[in-house]
Amino acid sequence: MSIQQLLNGVSLGSVYALIAVGFALVFNILKFSNFAHGGVMTLTAYIGLAAALFFSTWLSGLSLFAVTLLSAALAGALVGIVLERMAFRRIRNNNSPVIYYFISSITMGILMENIVTIFASSTFYSYPRFFELTVVNIAHVNIALTDLLMLVFSSVALMILLWVLYRTRIGLAIRALSFDVNTANLMGMDSNRVVMATFIAAGILGGIAGVFLGINYTLYPQLGQLIVKGFIASVIGGLGSITGAMIGAVLLGVLEVTLIGAVGAGIAPVFVFIVMLVFLLVRPRGISGIIVQEKA
Amino acid sequence: MEYIFAVLTFTGITVIGVLGSYLVTGLTGLFSFGQAAFFSVGAYTSVVLVKNLDVPFLLAVPAAMATGLLAGFLVGYPTVRLRRDYISLVTFGFGEAIIALLNNSVNLTGGAMGLSGIPQYTNFAVVWGSVAVCLTLVVGYKYSKYGRQCLALRADELAAKAMGINVNRIKLVTFLFAAAMTSYAGVLYAFYTTYVEPGAFGWIVSAEWIIIVFVGGINSLTGSVFATILLTGLPEMLRFASEWRVAVYCVIVLLIINYRPIGIFGEFELTFKWLRQLGKKGVKVS
Amino acid sequence: MSHLEAKNLSKAFGGVQAIDDFSFSVGERQIVGIIGPNGAGKTTAFNLLTGVYPLDKGKVFLDGEELSGLPQYQITQTGIARTFQNIRLFKGLNVIENVMTAADPYSTYNLADVFLYSGRKRRRENEVREMSRSFLALVGLAGYEDEKPENLPYGLQRKLELARALASNPKVLLLDEPAAGLNPSEVQDFIRLIQAVHEKFALSVLVIEHRMEVIMTLCANIYVLNFGKLLASGTPSQIQNNSEVTTAYIGEEDEACLL
Repeated sequence: MSIQQLLNGVSLGSVYALIAVGFALVFNILKFSNFAHGGVMTLTAYIGLAAALFFSTWLSGLSLFAVTLLSAALAGALVGIVLERMAFRRIRNNNSPVIYYFISSITMGILMENIVTIFASSTFYSYPRFFELTVVNIAHVNIALTDLLMLVFSSVALMILLWVLYRTRIGLAIRALSFDVNTANLMGMDSNRVVMATFIAAGILGGIAGVFLGINYTLYPQLGQLIVKGFIASVIGGLGSITGAMIGAVLLGVLEVTLIGAVGAGIAPVFVFIVMLVFLLVRPRGISGIIVQEKA
Repeated sequence: MEYIFAVLTFTGITVIGVLGSYLVTGLTGLFSFGQAAFFSVGAYTSVVLVKNLDVPFLLAVPAAMATGLLAGFLVGYPTVRLRRDYISLVTFGFGEAIIALLNNSVNLTGGAMGLSGIPQYTNFAVVWGSVAVCLTLVVGYKYSKYGRQCLALRADELAAKAMGINVNRIKLVTFLFAAAMTSYAGVLYAFYTTYVEPGAFGWIVSAEWIIIVFVGGINSLTGSVFATILLTGLPEMLRFASEWRVAVYCVIVLLIINYRPIGIFGEFELTFKWLRQLGKKGVKVS
Repeated sequence: MSHLEAKNLSKAFGGVQAIDDFSFSVGERQIVGIIGPNGAGKTTAFNLLTGVYPLDKGKVFLDGEELSGLPQYQITQTGIARTFQNIRLFKGLNVIENVMTAADPYSTYNLADVFLYSGRKRRRENEVREMSRSFLALVGLAGYEDEKPENLPYGLQRKLELARALASNPKVLLLDEPAAGLNPSEVQDFIRLIQAVHEKFALSVLVIEHRMEVIMTLCANIYVLNFGKLLASGTPSQIQNNSEVTTAYIGEEDEACLL
């Protein structure tokens, strides 16, 4: 494998890491798979597009790109808040079984995808071209500018997230709550606030991921289905582990780029799936080795 | 009239698909986003066998179901022993992989264009006859040791194991039963519409089936069948603005989750016993 | 000849040694108690016996046959049944079905019988239903067959768990705080029930309990756990007069619970 391919894989993987971590954050705290996350990415990607078109009269280049990313991230935070209030707050306060979280998240996922379909119809959109330059040459390796930006912005976003998780009070609260909800409540923690913060963080990551996916694949209402990359990364990395999700995502990115080179882009997902199944058979607990079990 | 029959036929096919989701989700508490993929496996396998290889239809049906079973085993075996979330994630991946496979095996499946010109071997009577048979099988399953063990492990997996239930095996058996039945529904579909394309089998279809099961009442077969007819049959006939149909679905479901969490029918089942009591005492639904 | 025998059980969670080198045995038709302050590792011991967690070290034998390492459901099927400290009944199944599920793993009819509604299936279903009905009657739940378990009062839920455990055809019954949450007259009632069941089915019983009246009335032999380690063992009177045991409890447990 060439360095070129490796770099492509890693930058693709960094976007997958955004997806996987956004998914893992909510999983850790509420212990269910948030299928609405795909919808969040779709919706925010379109909001990012609207922002890009709106600001393109005044801005261009890096500043336009940054504004697009920022709007999508803000929209993600907002969608996160709405999602938590509309779909999960009440069932959480009712202590409903996990089945309800599932149904709620699936429903919200479909709803968001459907809203986009209705308002943007099923036609394909794409972002304006942010840069004249398409390829940069670093140390004799050509890398697509978008790939480079993906890598840089995703890594920064994830680093900020880790900093928040491990160096701030709210981060500590999130980690405490994902460890044990009941005890955290007993300690007088306002779990509503912490869960809200988690959804906001996940939403922001979803927003950034949405824009990058939109740039990579053009915009279409089913864009959110790329959440499957996040799922696969989580399964490889070990469900419930944030660092595992990141590592899994980068591996997935590299694997995918390699497979695309070997068998073509269309059929690559089939091979990725097979690799995942084999991986599950051999090492069901994933790379991180955490087993998340229903509590005895 | 012909139109109504067509709608009812499609509704019948959907009922069988929903029965599969009922087994996996309603009875066992697993969320499979691969049900539509099994549907497409059944449809495509039978079509390819009949059209390309001149296999007789009646032989293609069991072959399609066997392929569905095999796919179900490949997906189910590694995942049933893990935490429930895995089966949702893996079946979601399975759905995407199947669509990718269908889109890219152009020689065999026609790719994104799909396959057309399939002979119409099934009709209203065949479909609803099949519904009756499938319903009988599922009812038998629900009211047996299998169904009870499914409900037990849905409620509390640890306690189920402690009662000597081989949880992984029961999950796998149920998953495979559903996979075979759903593949069969796919065969019915292909040989009724005479046309198949990968786009018709995305995760949304699987998700809609799960939602139908839930709206009907998580533990009620009666509810599943009723909700299928209500949610897929009626809008078609009333010619609802179809683009809003799904959004309306979703809002209804959100309302139900938050305000009537047991679904429309809860655990209620329409039985002869209940009908007799109804005759005597009038309605009482818990 | 020892019936259930546990040798050197050890289990750590992270850095916490939940059970440390704990050995004990329950003789045939014996009732044995495990006591100890909260967090001493009593329930963990049950979870290790029944295969919920893998053992770090140690072995479990039933009638000389090794159980450790088997999956949970197989351990149950060889003859160990349990109840749970925080009642775990199956919601979504009614009372009699809850009991029936415990007998279901022994039903040998197969999918073909199910799909063809065979006589074999019908006969076995009737048999299991009748058997479950008799277990319910035994614990005093006759007439509640079609109720939902979560609608039963707490005391009856405990009895339902007992009936369900019995239906799995055990040789050894593990009871995890069966008297927790019961009022004094219910406790007496439950003690009699355990004695009756013990007699009727020739069971060995291992019971975790905080209520000393339960332990002292029922048990022939008692093991005291503290911080995962065996502190003492012996007959009820030996334990009552053991100064180490008293020290372990005082200040950590309400004395009213003890005496």
